[in-house]
Amino acid sequence: MTAQAGGPVPGLPAEAHAGSRGAALGRLWPFGPAAAVLLFLFFIPLAIVFVYSFWTVQNLQLIPTWTLQNYLKFFQTDTYIRTFLKTIIMAVLVTAAGIGMAFPFAYFLARYVSTRWQRVLLLAVIIPFWSSYLVRVYAWQAILGEKGALNWLLMQVGLISEPLTIFLYNDVGVFIVLTYVYFPFAALSLYSSLEKFDFTQLTAAQDLGATPLRAMRRILLPQVRPGFITAMIFVFIPIIGEYLTPTLVGGTKGVLIGNLIVNFYRGGAFPAMAAASFIIAAFIILLLVLFRRYLQLDDVVTKL
Amino acid sequence: MPDDLPAIELVHATKRYGDTVALDDVSMRIAPGEFYCLLGPSGCGKTTTLNLIGGFVPLTSGELRIEGQQVNDLPPHKRNVNTVFQNYALFPHMSVARNVAFGLEMDGVKGPEVERRVDEYLELVGLLALKDRLPQQLSGGQQQRVALARALVKRPAVLLLDEPLGALDLKLRKQMQVELARIHRQVRTTFVFVTHDQGEALSMATRIAVMDAGRIAQEGTPQEIYYQPADRFVADFIGESNFVAGRPSQGTDGPVLELASGERVALPAATASLATGEEATVMVRPECVDVGLEPPPGPGWAVIRGRAIGVSFLGDLTRVTVVTAAGEVVASRPHAERSRAAALGSLLDEEVSVWWSTAESIVIRQG
Repeated sequence: MTAQAGGPVPGLPAEAHAGSRGAALGRLWPFGPAAAVLLFLFFIPLAIVFVYSFWTVQNLQLIPTWTLQNYLKFFQTDTYIRTFLKTIIMAVLVTAAGIGMAFPFAYFLARYVSTRWQRVLLLAVIIPFWSSYLVRVYAWQAILGEKGALNWLLMQVGLISEPLTIFLYNDVGVFIVLTYVYFPFAALSLYSSLEKFDFTQLTAAQDLGATPLRAMRRILLPQVRPGFITAMIFVFIPIIGEYLTPTLVGGTKGVLIGNLIVNFYRGGAFPAMAAASFIIAAFIILLLVLFRRYLQLDDVVTKL
Repeated sequence: MPDDLPAIELVHATKRYGDTVALDDVSMRIAPGEFYCLLGPSGCGKTTTLNLIGGFVPLTSGELRIEGQQVNDLPPHKRNVNTVFQNYALFPHMSVARNVAFGLEMDGVKGPEVERRVDEYLELVGLLALKDRLPQQLSGGQQQRVALARALVKRPAVLLLDEPLGALDLKLRKQMQVELARIHRQVRTTFVFVTHDQGEALSMATRIAVMDAGRIAQEGTPQEIYYQPADRFVADFIGESNFVAGRPSQGTDGPVLELASGERVALPAATASLATGEEATVMVRPECVDVGLEPPPGPGWAVIRGRAIGVSFLGDLTRVTVVTAAGEVVASRPHAERSRAAALGSLLDEEVSVWWSTAESIVIRQG
């Protein structure tokens, strides 16, 4: 497809590639609105926050001091570090659980379900997006609470005699709800990868002497790796910044780093807030660089 | 059949999917080194048979033996058979060489032995130079060869081929037919080949099983199948056929077939035993039929009068369609000289005779 490089691009008017700067700018104008949004609503606020992260606060006044104190304090404070680590562990566990459930689902869907029913089931996965995130998380309060549906069910079945309080306002609740919220992202990413896979290859691998498990590992997994990476990116990264779910179902025990940042903000500690935000951002960028190096992010980008 | 152990043996094999019978009490023996063709229309049970041998579907009842061993319950990865799939099912993330090496690695073959055998079989299919390419960088015909090498490199007792030429264009298909026959002669492995293309079956197979509705309609060499079809289905499916129906009776010069019009068509002498008065059908191949204004004199010819309603010039031959009292009869005549084509062309709309040597008539069962 690159044979045309340098030559006229078919389908474009001749002036469009005449090479003059004006013509090139003329072609770029559709990017304008998006670029403006990105600049004013993302890069500039980000720059402001970045600057804040080196300032200090005295008597609720921001003072431009240019210090690394805010960053140092984050790493020297036990609670902050613990919350950050807990957030990472939570993100890892939810990603693992989400993919662990989404893979069998997507595999079954892509391999054994007729195209018609595939659409129906995918729709069922997407439908939750049509309702508000907030409403869905509130619904989980009603399910996981002391007088919630889950306890009622367990008591009806006779597994417990007293309602349990272990599901809500702690890390368990956060884990359950986050897994629920991010399952569709994992399922859709994996499905889009699996759907393109030719399953006769697994038959061929077995025909050539591979056990079903080995066929899966040697033939299927390498080819759906982009789907896994997409799933990981779509689940892991947003969870690092999760705020709403821990607020609503985490209580005081289920706090994640996002809640910490909000607390800084509410307490007027803008520099601490800014520093914590940039520590998270740096961590995520580091992860993406690693992904890019070892897991071919290019594939992911083209798959998206 | 030779006496040694058959490579494949099906004994009263039946496969049902719910209420549908895909394979209905089929028995077959395939000798080592055969190029055995399962031929039939879609849904006849040929692919089911292949899948049974490959181990991809279980038998409902009956027995399957590979080299004398009952393998009914053996999973695919433990069977000494390998398959060339219809869509090739090459592994797109592996080079040609890695594709071919895959089966050997699964068998625990290690080191230089793998490379040696991969090279040997890529050489066999003529793709050694492309060993480092990825499958999607190859043409359809080349992918087909990789699939062949990948299956053969394990030196299976039997190679299964599931309509492997179906995806190729006509010219390539003809080339691959020659190529497959060569490879078969070279490796001497038993080939079991599934196709719905009679030309493929006739040109490559040492033996053909024509299948219909889950049963074997006829089994035999290509020539037997072509010249002595067991029933009307086989005659119809393989090549082109003229059917002439009537009642056998005794004529002055031997047995004849009496048409509804009262015309009498000579039958081969050997068919004297046909029950007189009962409906019978005679089949004759178009290339055995001649056509002209007057039939040749003398006995030994089956002759029917009719009108030539179609003459198609096809280059190497001309097809003349004649309406007779027994229905349409097609004569397919080669042109040894070009004047012959013109002579045949002039027959259109004429009252003509079609005739053939009675030796070419085959009395067949109604199938």
